[in-house]
Amino acid sequence: MKQKIKSSSMMIFQLVRSLHTSPVYRAAESSLLAKLRKKTGYTIANCKKALEMHNNDSEKAEAWLNDQAQAMGWAKATKLAGRKALQGLVAVKFDKNYGALVELNCETDFVAKNEKFQKMLEDATLACYKFAHTNLKSKGPITKMELDSEQLGNLSSDGGKKLSEVLALFIGSVGENAILRRAECWKANSNDVKITAYTHPAPLTAGDYSSGKYGALLAYKQPNDIEDIGKQICQHIVGCAPKKIGDKEKDKPVENSDDETCLIFQEYLLDPSYTVEEVLKKNKVEILDYVRYSCGEALEENMPGVEKQPLDTVQTLQ
Amino acid sequence: MATISFAKSLVNPALKLVLKQSQPSHLRNIGVPSLTPLSIVLRRNYAEKQVFERTKPHCNVGTIGHVDHGKTTLTAAITKVLADLNLAQKKGYSDIDNAPEEKARGITINVAHVEYQTEKRHYGHTDCPGHADYIKNMITGTAQMDGAILVVAATDGVMPQTREHLILAKQIGIQHVVVFINKVDAADQEMVELVEMEIRELMTEMGYDGDKIPVIKGSALCALEGKSPEIGTDAIVKLLEEVDSFIPTPVRELDKPFLLPVESVHSIPGRGTVVTGRLYRGTLKKGTECEIVGHGKIMKTTVTGVEMFHKTLDEAQAGDQLGALVRAIKREQIKRGMVMAKPGTVKAHDSLEAAVYILSKEEGGRSKPFTSFIQLQMFSMTWDCATQVTIPQKEMVMPGEDATLNLRLVKPMVCEPGQRFTLRLGDLTLGTGVITKINANLTEEERSKIMEGKKAREKAAAAKK
Repeated sequence: MKQKIKSSSMMIFQLVRSLHTSPVYRAAESSLLAKLRKKTGYTIANCKKALEMHNNDSEKAEAWLNDQAQAMGWAKATKLAGRKALQGLVAVKFDKNYGALVELNCETDFVAKNEKFQKMLEDATLACYKFAHTNLKSKGPITKMELDSEQLGNLSSDGGKKLSEVLALFIGSVGENAILRRAECWKANSNDVKITAYTHPAPLTAGDYSSGKYGALLAYKQPNDIEDIGKQICQHIVGCAPKKIGDKEKDKPVENSDDETCLIFQEYLLDPSYTVEEVLKKNKVEILDYVRYSCGEALEENMPGVEKQPLDTVQTLQ
Repeated sequence: MATISFAKSLVNPALKLVLKQSQPSHLRNIGVPSLTPLSIVLRRNYAEKQVFERTKPHCNVGTIGHVDHGKTTLTAAITKVLADLNLAQKKGYSDIDNAPEEKARGITINVAHVEYQTEKRHYGHTDCPGHADYIKNMITGTAQMDGAILVVAATDGVMPQTREHLILAKQIGIQHVVVFINKVDAADQEMVELVEMEIRELMTEMGYDGDKIPVIKGSALCALEGKSPEIGTDAIVKLLEEVDSFIPTPVRELDKPFLLPVESVHSIPGRGTVVTGRLYRGTLKKGTECEIVGHGKIMKTTVTGVEMFHKTLDEAQAGDQLGALVRAIKREQIKRGMVMAKPGTVKAHDSLEAAVYILSKEEGGRSKPFTSFIQLQMFSMTWDCATQVTIPQKEMVMPGEDATLNLRLVKPMVCEPGQRFTLRLGDLTLGTGVITKINANLTEEERSKIMEGKKAREKAAAAKK
């Protein structure tokens, strides 16, 4: 009985509430604030402020908001700068001769799933890819360039804005710290050197751009008449995380194959009955170099004693 | 050391509670060892620990929302308001934010670290830092949420990632969401209304009944600081009322049809065949009709007696370790891994879809990822079975990651959605999961393919081309 009373009182309560809210709701919908917020997507408090400043002239308010967005983004970015950001994504963009690998971090993985985040990452990756085309000098078989957070921010995106500005806008919009952590730009200097890339999880349709929690770039040589297995080797690198390629003469395989960190001695991911070395030999592949990012991993740059390189020095592989 | 922990377990009140409930008389018969100075010391510990009293139904809730919108403040405010009513222990902001569970991420962390009760129910309160953590909790069963409180700040409104928060709630099966609009002390009436409108719109878009969802407006900070009670304490009280009434109490295991995974079978001369095991859910009485399913067989029979520790029992309840005497079935017909259940409630299946969390190396898993067609041993209830794994959405699964997997068992076993299992490879536990969907049983041809090697698969693929 008691329950019955409770549930019916509940119903009345809900009814009263819906009576109470619905008219207001409609009123709010047509208000200037609602329109402005819907149109611009800036925080409600900011929309409100903009309207107050411009005597409810929504056009002026919108212009002001757009004007202020950059400054507000910077303010927010500065405010949040100290917060840890270890989630995020790694993205690659590549073709036969060029490759770019970029890591963008944020605080929660919810944000990493958002479209705005993915757009931001794609912009950054494209900028690096372009950078690889225009700014890398040819020397040796491949030219490699590592970019840190600061250098990445100085690259300019498609719209001509600096990446750091785009990032500040993004931070202003999601209200969470985000960091352009690092990037790697590669260029192959001869025709027989190929570049490929892989991210995990891999997209269902293969393309020249993809993003995921892990990513790798690989430079290798393989004669053209043999089926290209660069992608598969790259997948192996992403999956098994070798620490180095390994030299057959200097390095020895460890006893437990699961702990192996030399690429050539590892069991091949796609067919554990072979080692990577056997697969490379069979397919006449020569691995020149690779780089693997795991999103949010502890970075070497943070280690004491490792110095940063200036933007114009180019690291080449001998 | 072993004796210490043994003595400790004997005086552990939680265990005593269990003893009382499950009546395992054999444990009680062991008796308390003679009092040594050590056990006296332990007794003092015992006095300090409170006994959990089960007087109200339990419900798990969690908070979701943007990092800066005040989830932790709200949790602190809830405990404060309830502490004033003597229903919870007050937790400070730092107690919640710095909970060791939240810092160390492992497989069994992120469990409810805040508990409180209202007049009606007892709550466990979860707050996970990210999407992957919630998914992991859902899969491993660490903290199944029955409902959620979505926190949105009136000053910011719906954030771009609020959509992702709701997608997550949908994904982990949360049907009931209560919305709390926070920070109304820093906003005006118009802003609050606008936020409410936005949320209802978004909720409707995400497949919830946006118009009916309770939306409470208040300020967790005011409640915490004891200022302006109309948006502080009162709002929290109202929020809890809505949580009490809007989020239904989960069905208890006791109220479901009974199910008993068979652990072993004995033949008792003069009485017949006895099946033993732990009653997984429901209640079991003498005279109940039952079905024994598994290892490709289905048998119907009747339970002619229920015993626990050699004493007959009127009614066994979920959690009881019991023996059930069954009519007209020989010992050889029943094997470990079969399931005894209410007729028609369970079926054996061999093709499943599951959400699986793959353990990272630190959690005891493997350091390498795996790809499709790996053969693993699947353990669930009392059975285990060789299983072929395929990955529909990814090319491989990395350790520390969750994934949807298709599982094909070499023989049909009792499976149902929501059932948990473990995947093992040799002596390693690779992952743990929960069945999400049952697919149509395999045909003979498909079954024979499970055992095929990689070479045969490649050959078949090449022939197709």
